[in-house]
Amino acid sequence: MTHDGYQRSLSEKLGLLSELALFEGLSDADIEAIGHATTMTHCKRGQQILAPDDPPDRIHIIKKGRVRVYRLGADGKQLTLDIYEKGTILGDMSMLGQDRIPEAYAEALDDGVICTITPDELRKLIERFPLIGVNIIGHLSRRLQSAEQALEAMAYRRVDQRLARRLLDLAARFGMAAPGGTVIEARLTQQELAEMVGTTRETLAHTLGDLRRDGLLDMDKHRVLIRDAERLAELADG
Amino acid sequence: MTPNAQAPVADPPARVPAPSVPASSIPSVTVAQMAEVDRLAISEFGVTLLQMMEQAGSHLAEVVRLELGGDLRDRFVVVAVGPGNNGAGGLAAARHLLNRGAWVRVVLARPALRMSEAGRHQLATLIAMNASCCVATFDLSDDELIDVLGRADLIVDALLGYNASGAPGDEVGRLVGLIGDSGRPVVSLDVPTGLNPDTGAAANPAIVAIATVTLALPKIGLLGPEASSKTGRLYLADIGLPASLYARLGLDIGPLFGPGRILQLDGTR
Repeated sequence: MTHDGYQRSLSEKLGLLSELALFEGLSDADIEAIGHATTMTHCKRGQQILAPDDPPDRIHIIKKGRVRVYRLGADGKQLTLDIYEKGTILGDMSMLGQDRIPEAYAEALDDGVICTITPDELRKLIERFPLIGVNIIGHLSRRLQSAEQALEAMAYRRVDQRLARRLLDLAARFGMAAPGGTVIEARLTQQELAEMVGTTRETLAHTLGDLRRDGLLDMDKHRVLIRDAERLAELADG
Repeated sequence: MTPNAQAPVADPPARVPAPSVPASSIPSVTVAQMAEVDRLAISEFGVTLLQMMEQAGSHLAEVVRLELGGDLRDRFVVVAVGPGNNGAGGLAAARHLLNRGAWVRVVLARPALRMSEAGRHQLATLIAMNASCCVATFDLSDDELIDVLGRADLIVDALLGYNASGAPGDEVGRLVGLIGDSGRPVVSLDVPTGLNPDTGAAANPAIVAIATVTLALPKIGLLGPEASSKTGRLYLADIGLPASLYARLGLDIGPLFGPGRILQLDGTR
């Protein structure tokens, strides 16, 4: 079985992109220098990377290989929570607004490379590469803004309005010009989209159907084509 | 939380019957109609997914009791759980089975955080109860999984619901195959995994159940001649939706669940 069988949830995809953006704007030489300034661990399949009693405030960035995160049941048996791939940040660091999954262990599923950064190292990196600090501010303010918007939308907006807003956000991040509009190039299942909007898959499918009938969008199995962004924005703001 | 590995698997005692009604007396629905029922329930009638799921899980546990001869105590039930809301219903049933004295092993098809929101909610409760939960591919070897399935008095199939289409793939398909190989009796939630709820055609692989607990109204494909060899006895369970909701779809159900909240549909097998 390969990892390709999994559909990463969109919130994770977004998280991943913004986390990777930590080093955005830096040259390859800078990124290599960062690699040298942090602890790079080559780990073997099965090697433990995180345990609940690890010291807090350090993050691990998966550079290569897959990592399995699990917890132990009362019977001592493992329950796999998720499988993560290259680019994911594990561990916790309040500076980045990154929380640890409680009571979780992590182990390498393949031979891999993990980059570990402590707050001290991150501070030194920011002094040397101020752009990383700017990227962190951007990352945090986007997180804050989207959390506030999501709260407001959940409380006051209808499903069609929430969906319209979410699709416009996705188009802004993943949109590509296509004949007849903008296609959202993120392979999303209806379940994932429903979870993002805070509704059920059935309601989502129905709402998407309504928007399609009104000529605002088109869709196939995993992709949405926005045909009329202006009317979609009117709906979202309405 | 599993019984002794060496304990022999006993054949279940004779099942206990539920009130029965002719299948022909009850309207059946297509997948599209059922999706509309769910949508109306949530967005127009304010019945939440968790409310419906709670009843589905409770009825599923009750049908397991009937099929196991009337007592859940000390029976070993494996609950096979898919990533969507059908799986979440199976997790609710697992909680009821545990509360009622069964030994339960929950086997998830996918890692826990890949489940639907309702599924993660149900799973969090099971974890707080110290229930035995694991993921098929990552937490059990093939041999362990085959051993667990083989020792079950009964296996619950909560892998895929009425919304799924086509042959079950990846981990779900593998679990369907291993459940079939185990030869143990299976009770399916809503639709046997792999059976097309509109046409009754079975994919390969598909679950062969001794009983299926379908929710709200029977899906049309479950009533066809081809389906009965896969569904086994067909039970219809009440998830608390009002007649006025069905009336919006032009369906007249009357006091359908008057005789009982779980009905066995006659004339389907």
